Amino acid sequence: MPKLIKDGAIVDNQYEWQQDAETTANENSIVAAQQWLAEKDSIGKVAGIWLEAGDGTDILEGIDLNQFDVIGIHFPAFADGRGFSYARLLRERFNYQGEVRALGGFIPDQLGYLLRVGFNSFQFAEEVDLEKALLLHKPFSVAYQGDVADPRPIFLRR
Amino acid sequence: MYQYDAIDQQLVEERVAQFRDQTRRYLNKELSEQEFLPLRLQNGLYVQRYAPMLRIAIPYGMLSSVQLRKLADISRRYDRAYGHFSTRQNLQLNWPKLEDVPDILAELAEVQMHAVQTSGNCIRNTTTDQYAGVISDEVVDPRPYCELIRQWSTFHPEFAFLPRKFKIAVNATESADRAATQVHDIGLHIKKNDAGEIGFKVIVGGGLGRTPMVGVTISEFVPREDLLTYLDAIIRVYNQQGRRDNKYKARIKILVKALGIEEFRRRVDAEWAHLRGKESTVPMSEFERLATFFTEPAYQTLSNQPAELSNKLAESAGFARWYERNTFDHKQAGYRIVTLTLKKAGQAPGDATSEQMEKAADLADRFSFGELRVSHEQNLVLADVRQDQLIELWEAAKEAGFATPTLGLLTDMICCPGGDFCALANAKSIPIAAQIQDTFSDLDYLYDLGNIDLNISGCMNACGHHHVGNIGILGVDKKGEEFYQVSIGGASGHDASIGKILGPSFAQEEISSVIQKLMQVYVDNRSAEERFIDTFRRIGIAAFKEAAYAKTN
Repeated sequence: MPKLIKDGAIVDNQYEWQQDAETTANENSIVAAQQWLAEKDSIGKVAGIWLEAGDGTDILEGIDLNQFDVIGIHFPAFADGRGFSYARLLRERFNYQGEVRALGGFIPDQLGYLLRVGFNSFQFAEEVDLEKALLLHKPFSVAYQGDVADPRPIFLRR
Repeated sequence: MYQYDAIDQQLVEERVAQFRDQTRRYLNKELSEQEFLPLRLQNGLYVQRYAPMLRIAIPYGMLSSVQLRKLADISRRYDRAYGHFSTRQNLQLNWPKLEDVPDILAELAEVQMHAVQTSGNCIRNTTTDQYAGVISDEVVDPRPYCELIRQWSTFHPEFAFLPRKFKIAVNATESADRAATQVHDIGLHIKKNDAGEIGFKVIVGGGLGRTPMVGVTISEFVPREDLLTYLDAIIRVYNQQGRRDNKYKARIKILVKALGIEEFRRRVDAEWAHLRGKESTVPMSEFERLATFFTEPAYQTLSNQPAELSNKLAESAGFARWYERNTFDHKQAGYRIVTLTLKKAGQAPGDATSEQMEKAADLADRFSFGELRVSHEQNLVLADVRQDQLIELWEAAKEAGFATPTLGLLTDMICCPGGDFCALANAKSIPIAAQIQDTFSDLDYLYDLGNIDLNISGCMNACGHHHVGNIGILGVDKKGEEFYQVSIGGASGHDASIGKILGPSFAQEEISSVIQKLMQVYVDNRSAEERFIDTFRRIGIAAFKEAAYAKTN
């Protein structure tokens, strides 16, 4: 079974990131948010949905997100930082408590920032060595800004 | 100035360790070129024409003599014994070795310095007025606010991979804008409202580069406690909605222009509604804490124009010239702000040798409480000099090559490193600066011409701010040959404007004669006391164009 990093450990990937809308979704599928929205009355139980860069989070307004075990956020390239805002909004504005999973072209050196904006699982590109990636799985030990882990900026903590 | 505590120090040290590991993995080929690129850029490291270039942050321009000596030492040991002060209060080293950069960063951390986010698509070094805290007419000292922004922007987890670079500049006086705030992604003007509360007028969407624009006002007044949530709101909108398909259309100015300021403001306000009043609202205690780092030095009770100064002004034309041009009114009686110019003929604008850096540090210790500032115009500033010590300082500054009495004049050029160093450049810029220095060497003539900003960039990226020079020179490539486009009428102060292109570009050897012709049009048309830029605004481009392209008989 393919592996990923979740909550700081290398574990089996339970879910399937469904990139092809033609594939029939099942309870282990992470389906595209746009697809789920279009088919939500008929699609049945899925593990979760994933946001494409450009989707924004407004499309999820009014949806009970806690019905999903996982919400994926796709990075088309590691330099495309839209997903950092999406994750933070899911956590802070939508108060989503489930798994927020990074998908796509992000790289291990971004883990510190990804963790701080609320990601807790990381499905890296195949060629990434997860053992090595795990070594980078920690933010700096201090931070100036508030983040998902602790909303208080440094001036409330000094 | 700001002093790191254990937290600040720990953060820069962890950053050094992180970059050391990243560099090691890159050199071991565990990190690809493409993956290493944004990581090294966010540590200020470019790969240039001949060697890497390391851009070291001088946050809002403040530098202690200890730090400047360290920069001198680093540039001597790791580079070719000089550095280049840039327009955004950074110091650039042109010849460090990639594998040495972690050690350089470690040495910088020893003196509370870093190269964090000095390049890359992230929030860059925040800049401000080099006279901050020592002029009489500022609303408040902007530096505590700059430090607040520095901390907020440093390793901001959400905004490290923006569509494009993001620059913030702060101004705190109505009388001048020495930080070119209107051509920044965000320009902040500190104000007081009718109730006497401190806040910010916020200008957004300015910038140079390929599509130069003057920013527009998004808010007339954001209370200071709301500054960080408001900045978060602006940049969150930009991070999600700025264009990412074309790097030349990726700056926030393009988004603001495409949406229109009304719609952009509406989106920012909608975002801000969620953030305002939350944890990032700055408490009074933090403003007070930050202000304690920028208290006045131990000024003596003195009076203005002491006898020795008045006498020297009367007897020495050279000193009087320097005093008039290179020193500025101080809020404290008996003191003066002194600019040490880095515009000596024969030296690239903004360049300082290691030896000069050490001399400047010594001068700061002797005359100005051990502190210096770096200016947007690429000079160094001693902010607190006793008027009765100006003569002594002038003598020492002359010896070190810091007393070229041309501050604000035509030859006080802003100039990027250009094609001599930069891989992006289309053309060299330093030889153009040298040519203009040579041609306009007559001080009387320069004084007669008065205040003129001449800015030179080696390419469209506009590091030399050519668009906002009263005269701008841009290096262009014409079938493999270096040519120069001249623009006229730009300005970077409160009256910011983008220059207009004069016409077809010129060969390198023609430039100073073109500038001479433009000056002649000005001299022929000006009314008494009228600045170049005002004459241009009154008479328009036609006469200048005609003169520049007139065939010589």
